[in-house]
Amino acid sequence: MRAVTVDESTVVLGIETSCDETAASIVMGGSDVLSSVVATSIEQHVPFGGVVPEIASRAHVELIVPVIARAIEEAGIADTRIDAIAATFGPGLIGALLVGVSAAKALALVWDVPFVGVNHLEAHLYAGLLEDPDLEFPLVVLLVSGGHTMLVEMSGPGRYRLLGETIDDAAGEAFDKVARFLGLGYPGGPAIDREAAFGDPEAIAFPRAIPDSLDFSFSGVKTSVINHVRKHPDVSTADVAASFQTAIVDSLVAKARRAARQVGAKGLALGGGVAANSLLRDRWVEACDEDGIRAFVPSRAMCTDNAAMIAAAGWHRLGSDGPTSLEAGAYPGLRLSMD
Amino acid sequence: MITLGIETATQVVSVAVGGDDGVLGMVEIAQGRRHAETLAPAIEFVCRHAQVAIGEIAAIGVDVGPGLFTGMRVGIASAKAMAHALQVPVVGVSSLDLLAHPLRHTSKVIAGVIDARKGEVFYAFFLPTPGGVQRVTEPRVGSIEDFNADVMARGQDVLAVGDGACRYRDELDIGVEVADLAHPSVASLVTLARARVLRSDLEALRADDVQPMYLRAPDAQINWSVR
Ligand SMILES: [Zn+2]
Repeated sequence: MRAVTVDESTVVLGIETSCDETAASIVMGGSDVLSSVVATSIEQHVPFGGVVPEIASRAHVELIVPVIARAIEEAGIADTRIDAIAATFGPGLIGALLVGVSAAKALALVWDVPFVGVNHLEAHLYAGLLEDPDLEFPLVVLLVSGGHTMLVEMSGPGRYRLLGETIDDAAGEAFDKVARFLGLGYPGGPAIDREAAFGDPEAIAFPRAIPDSLDFSFSGVKTSVINHVRKHPDVSTADVAASFQTAIVDSLVAKARRAARQVGAKGLALGGGVAANSLLRDRWVEACDEDGIRAFVPSRAMCTDNAAMIAAAGWHRLGSDGPTSLEAGAYPGLRLSMD
Repeated sequence: MITLGIETATQVVSVAVGGDDGVLGMVEIAQGRRHAETLAPAIEFVCRHAQVAIGEIAAIGVDVGPGLFTGMRVGIASAKAMAHALQVPVVGVSSLDLLAHPLRHTSKVIAGVIDARKGEVFYAFFLPTPGGVQRVTEPRVGSIEDFNADVMARGQDVLAVGDGACRYRDELDIGVEVADLAHPSVASLVTLARARVLRSDLEALRADDVQPMYLRAPDAQINWSVR
């Protein structure tokens, strides 16, 4: 294997296939995004109200090479310029992960460059650094998606501590379930976001956070929504959506602020698909302004699953740990390795 | 011309490289069922010990199933990515063809039979021809009863091959003999892929999208249509 010095000129091809997005990206020096291509099979999952693993895997195997080819073409570089291949190897859907990992290892073999297995959750944390490499540590990151809701202290690149996480549903899961119950369709996050724009966020007081803890719980809010609508069948769906969204965002922002105060964070960063929610983005910035710390809100494209964050995390991992063995597999239940 | 064969559609992972005079190196791992972990190191190992540089590979053959969905995808994603990076053609060959091809010297009808789980098998019938076999039925998925009925309808002695034939050995019709061979042959894959590349227009092969042969709708879609 060719020896790799990881520096500003190191070019990494990132590959992401953990869920329904097939993505590839070329990133130089861990932060300079030369291209980022994302294809999705989401439309095929809509009738089922959730991602169907077998459908996602079938789409990945069709899309993977064209998406990689386009990422390289859009970056305007020769194949020989690629110094390493990084691919998500967990957590995620096993059949979906294996497509990206297999393609990545095959390319690494042919081009004789290192393969780097990337933790998808760690990559979401890097999404923040990608658009703002000068961000100062310590930093508190709220990682909030359909599969995860966690507050993480990042004391430096690759150094994390879990401060709190959900004890039941992930926030994105709560959005999906409530949207489905209200007949707003799938995926639930954007559907609730749209509907809430027409409603009164203070119309109904749904329960908020568990006090005295940095952990989250969303199943109580979800149950209150269902009970409220059953008791008041004529209630405005927009009011329910707006009030529910406010309850979720309130608890996310309140816990994140408390976490930031607790660890003396210099900034608060958002990551994950739910970070695309309009209300959460607005409230995040307001809260940080009030507390005199930096708000970091990645672009919507960087919040949702993409391969630029995989390439960036891969660049850091390659620098700190070196290449991953070609004998590595995919690890659906992979966790963030904490300090 | 160096041809690489990748076979991951059943429990086995096998890899071979072939040259103009036949197979140069081959590895077959029958236990473990860790396709993704085994495949890339196996390709690296076979090429290194057969003294073939990866850059010399001029064609890739891959088993496209039917078989284990996840295993098939590991092989197909790897083959397509390698072919793209090497700028060489990739050829898809069915697992059933790769079961039948090594038995081409028999005089019986050959049945490739792969365990499809859920009490079913993937199968197709073949006739030996000079120098090879010819598939005479479309690959299909069905119960052992379906398979037996198809054997009866043919009214000929059948030589069945594959992990499905082995698993359901005791339930097969009289007149069906089961070959000891259980796995698609990667040596046949190299031979068949090489032959196809040599007689095809390379541009057509390069554009050819190698598709997995699932023969079954994804689970969720079946549930939906039942609802
Ligand atoms: Zn994600």
